[in-house]
Amino acid sequence: MSRRYDSRTTIFSPDGRLYQVEYALEAISHAGTAIGILAKDGIVLAAERKVTSKLLEQDTSAEKLYILNDNMICAVAGMTADANILINYARQAAQRYLLTYNEDIPCEQLVRRLCDLKQGYTQHGGLRPFGVSFIYAGWDPQRQFQLYLSNPSGNYGGWKATSSGANHASAQSLLKQDFKEDCTLKEACGTAVKVLSKTMDSTKLSSEKIEFATVGQTEDGKIYHKLWSAEEITALLKEHDLAKDETAEDK
Amino acid sequence: MSKGLWAPRQPPSAWCWNLAWQAGHARAFRLKLQVRVASGQPELPPKQASWTELAKSINNHHPIFPHAFNATMEVLLGITGKDFTLIAASKAAMRGVTILKASDDKTRQLNKHTLMAFNGEAGDTVQFAEYIQANAQLYSMRNDTDLSPSALANFVRGELASSLRSRKPYNVNLLLGGVDPITHKPSLYWLDYLAALAPVPYAAHGYAQYYCLSILDKHHHPDITLVQGMKLLNLCTDELKRRLPIDFKGMIVKAVTKDGIVDMEIDNDKVVKCA
Amino acid sequence: MDTLVAQYSRPAYQQNEVFSEQEQQDLADGVPSLSLKFAMPPVAHPSAWLRAATDDRSNPTCPIKIAHGTTTLAFRFDHGIIVATDSRATAGNWIASQTVKKVIEINSDLLGTMAGGAADCQYWLAWLGMQCRLHELRHKRRISVAAASKILANLVYQYKGMGLSMGTMCAGVTEEEGAALYYIDSDGTRLQGNLFCVGSGQTFAYGVLDAEYRQDLTVEEALELGSRSILAATHRDAYSGGFINLYHVKKEGWVKHGFTDTNPVFWKTKLEKGEFSNVTSDFSGRA
Repeated sequence: MSRRYDSRTTIFSPDGRLYQVEYALEAISHAGTAIGILAKDGIVLAAERKVTSKLLEQDTSAEKLYILNDNMICAVAGMTADANILINYARQAAQRYLLTYNEDIPCEQLVRRLCDLKQGYTQHGGLRPFGVSFIYAGWDPQRQFQLYLSNPSGNYGGWKATSSGANHASAQSLLKQDFKEDCTLKEACGTAVKVLSKTMDSTKLSSEKIEFATVGQTEDGKIYHKLWSAEEITALLKEHDLAKDETAEDK
Repeated sequence: MSKGLWAPRQPPSAWCWNLAWQAGHARAFRLKLQVRVASGQPELPPKQASWTELAKSINNHHPIFPHAFNATMEVLLGITGKDFTLIAASKAAMRGVTILKASDDKTRQLNKHTLMAFNGEAGDTVQFAEYIQANAQLYSMRNDTDLSPSALANFVRGELASSLRSRKPYNVNLLLGGVDPITHKPSLYWLDYLAALAPVPYAAHGYAQYYCLSILDKHHHPDITLVQGMKLLNLCTDELKRRLPIDFKGMIVKAVTKDGIVDMEIDNDKVVKCA
Repeated sequence: MDTLVAQYSRPAYQQNEVFSEQEQQDLADGVPSLSLKFAMPPVAHPSAWLRAATDDRSNPTCPIKIAHGTTTLAFRFDHGIIVATDSRATAGNWIASQTVKKVIEINSDLLGTMAGGAADCQYWLAWLGMQCRLHELRHKRRISVAAASKILANLVYQYKGMGLSMGTMCAGVTEEEGAALYYIDSDGTRLQGNLFCVGSGQTFAYGVLDAEYRQDLTVEEALELGSRSILAATHRDAYSGGFINLYHVKKEGWVKHGFTDTNPVFWKTKLEKGEFSNVTSDFSGRA
């Protein structure tokens, strides 16, 4: 039955669904988990890295977290190759805005630009939708720190804490439990690793298995974003007693 | 009174003589030419086919003031203060020797807290200003927020710059005044028809520059109140009434504050005499 | 008799030092005949030729760059006349000098100012000085400012249309006139008045001067206003700059109030009074 409607992205099924979009969402729910938490003084993004190998060069192969602009970063859940296209598009859109207005693009506008593109693939013929969800973390003078989630349908929404990818349902309920209104960025980082440790297969984490990034404000009011190094992640994990005992591993 | 219109249509009048003394300034040459026309014996340099060609050659090759021929008798003034930006524009709409209208408003509101004043080539001015106005309003509708004065200024600069490289550029000089909707900081931007953009504490366009900037250099301070700002503006308009050889029919003055744009009262009937 | 003989028996080289009748006439007349004073270029229209050769505004490649561009001002008030000038000489966009004396001391109580062609002004104001001295010797009293300015105005009118470029002011205090100020330019205009600014920076000077000018200024206020007006012009006009040359003309004659570098004056004015608020690093960054 569904055969007739699911091969084309742009055709509704009799019960009003776009199967290709739903399949794309399904593809994403197999990808590594990504979560984002909005704190009063910043935002944390954390993501599970699926491809791990001793041979993998850690620093040069960011899989999940990307910088879009001076004021914005994002976490990817889904097909990294698709994400690359969209990230490139977002970066160009942000730069074009900067060139026109000599100002950083407001966060929601950049999100919407991407979503308009994604939406196009659910309506205009013959191509498959992008198989990615994004969690965006950014700052603009109008609405300060903001966290957004967008999915392949082209829908997006603003969140205080959100998740995407494998186990995102349980991640979401964990976040609902643990999220504190007006938490600090430091507290949010703690919450992020805790939630991630519960949604991931192994209870003990390591810097190879997760990526971490924050957007924050320096003491003199400047906005910064930072992709964390392996050492910093390890230190954070140790602080919350979630680090894998490396000496045990070696034996 | 802008580029292209200046040559033989300008009126002969006594003030040309006085201004012709500004040696070293291209505008003096322009005025001198007008005097020649008036005497009925236009003295064209050799190999110059027409006035328009001469105008073009001067415009394109003038070594020091390539834009000097754009200077106008239309007055634009802008002053920033502690929590406001004042924009003033003369009320006379001039074409050749005639004042067509004595209550012309050479400003357009771009959004709640940004105002743009313009002068330049007839037709171009309003077309360009309303094009910018439409785009500013479109942005506001699409994005549910207004562009900041700074963003608008840069946008206008970009539009002017791309127009400049087209077949028929807009010949418009602008002042853009605003108060940032978030920080409430007042700002003023000076743009000329060559798409130069400068953020400034006070500014003028046209011949008013030559009279008012020195006054503002002396009497302006960044933290003045609106009342002090109006006093300063009056100092400028008094000088223009005193020294400009034409009647610019008074000024329209608007103040941009964080609460929006308000019309300001100014005494346009005041008579100012030379010392 | 001996003197007569001596006169005719002088060696030839000495005879040249005696003024010819024509020359004596020229010196006394105030309006020398043109043909003897200047040779005209051997072309059909000397003035058109001169313009083509010198006017760098219409012809950037003109072979002769004339020194133009100045700010000079003078104004009358209860305690006499203030005369102030800048000191920059430019030829095209080249700053030829920063230390030009643009106030000519015609005699101990008469001053002239120079704007326009530097050579024209220097020559004819020096010439005017000579005429004034001759007038003094002839009539046994100082020349009036009205008369002095009229001599200059008549002279330049003779040369009208031949390329002279001058905008000058004559300021002096005399018994019969009191404080008198005249504006003369090479078009032939001669105006008596209270306040004049002349040169490419005139508008900037007018701006500052008009705003605070009063007849009852004190001497200190008047000197400050004159100097501040020149500063305003040197700040905004590329063709004005250098030093502020300041004079006060009063009944007892003129008094010089310095030849002051504008640069320290500018910074002092900015830093101590908070003026020139557009000169700041805050505005140099991104718009």
